[in-house]
Amino acid sequence: MPRRPGRPKRQQAPAHDPLQPADRFAALADPTRRHLLERLAAGDRAVSELTSDLDMSQAAVSQHLRVLREAGLVTARKDGRHRYYQLRPAGLTELRDWLDELERFWQGRLTALGDYLGESP
Amino acid sequence: MKADIDLTVTYPHPIDRVWAALTSSEALAAWLMPNDFQPVVGHRFTFRTNPAPGFDGIVRCRVLELDPPRRIVWSWAGGKIDTTVTFTLEPAGGQRTRLRMQQVGFHGLGAQITRRIMASGWPGLLRERLAAHLDNGSAGPGTRPVPHQGARGWRAYLPVFRGWRQTPSK
Repeated sequence: MPRRPGRPKRQQAPAHDPLQPADRFAALADPTRRHLLERLAAGDRAVSELTSDLDMSQAAVSQHLRVLREAGLVTARKDGRHRYYQLRPAGLTELRDWLDELERFWQGRLTALGDYLGESP
Repeated sequence: MKADIDLTVTYPHPIDRVWAALTSSEALAAWLMPNDFQPVVGHRFTFRTNPAPGFDGIVRCRVLELDPPRRIVWSWAGGKIDTTVTFTLEPAGGQRTRLRMQQVGFHGLGAQITRRIMASGWPGLLRERLAAHLDNGSAGPGTRPVPHQGARGWRAYLPVFRGWRQTPSK
């Protein structure tokens, strides 16, 4: 994650690459981003407010927020000069749904293994 | 390390039979997916299933550990998910075998944190917001949900594992 001062470069998310769980897990794996999510859990915040208790530049915080936004974990809205960030709880529930789906897949397969063991001589 | 997926099943069969079902290509095809598995450490193989958006239907694997008849570990990569699947067997008495299946590596802590957060590891407002979201399908009272451009792609990825799930013949 680059931490140079100034405005972070805007990047367009490639349209052909659908958002995948891996991207969201990766976004969650970073401690700074988890801290930001925790702050946003208490209510909407502007970047300047989110920077106040972090030992890094506002540009760096913006970069982290962009990762969270692209991962669908936060949303942003513009209000005058300020950009406010808001937690997107659906981002977390979708991940959980995905993990639950995966767990059901394995449960089904392990049941099929039991059937296989019961049928084969 | 706690596994992201962690399941335990006890089968009324001796350990050698369960081991055989985990380490034969034919048996794996019968209960899991068609494959070109070989019980050789380092062997690269694939499981094949129906493709879905963002997933070509091929799970790329490699045998990482093989310790008969106790433990077998595969790498497991499909879509952008790159994980490890571990099967651990132990006798459960009276010709029974306990099988533990673990899948880890959804970007390190990501999956565990998701689980923890969803289990209300975070206090107060988040819980309320989540509850409101779950009740209403929105971000909660007084908030306007902002459409997220990735949402459609995300949804499209969910059927990946649905494609794998066949109806158990039970």
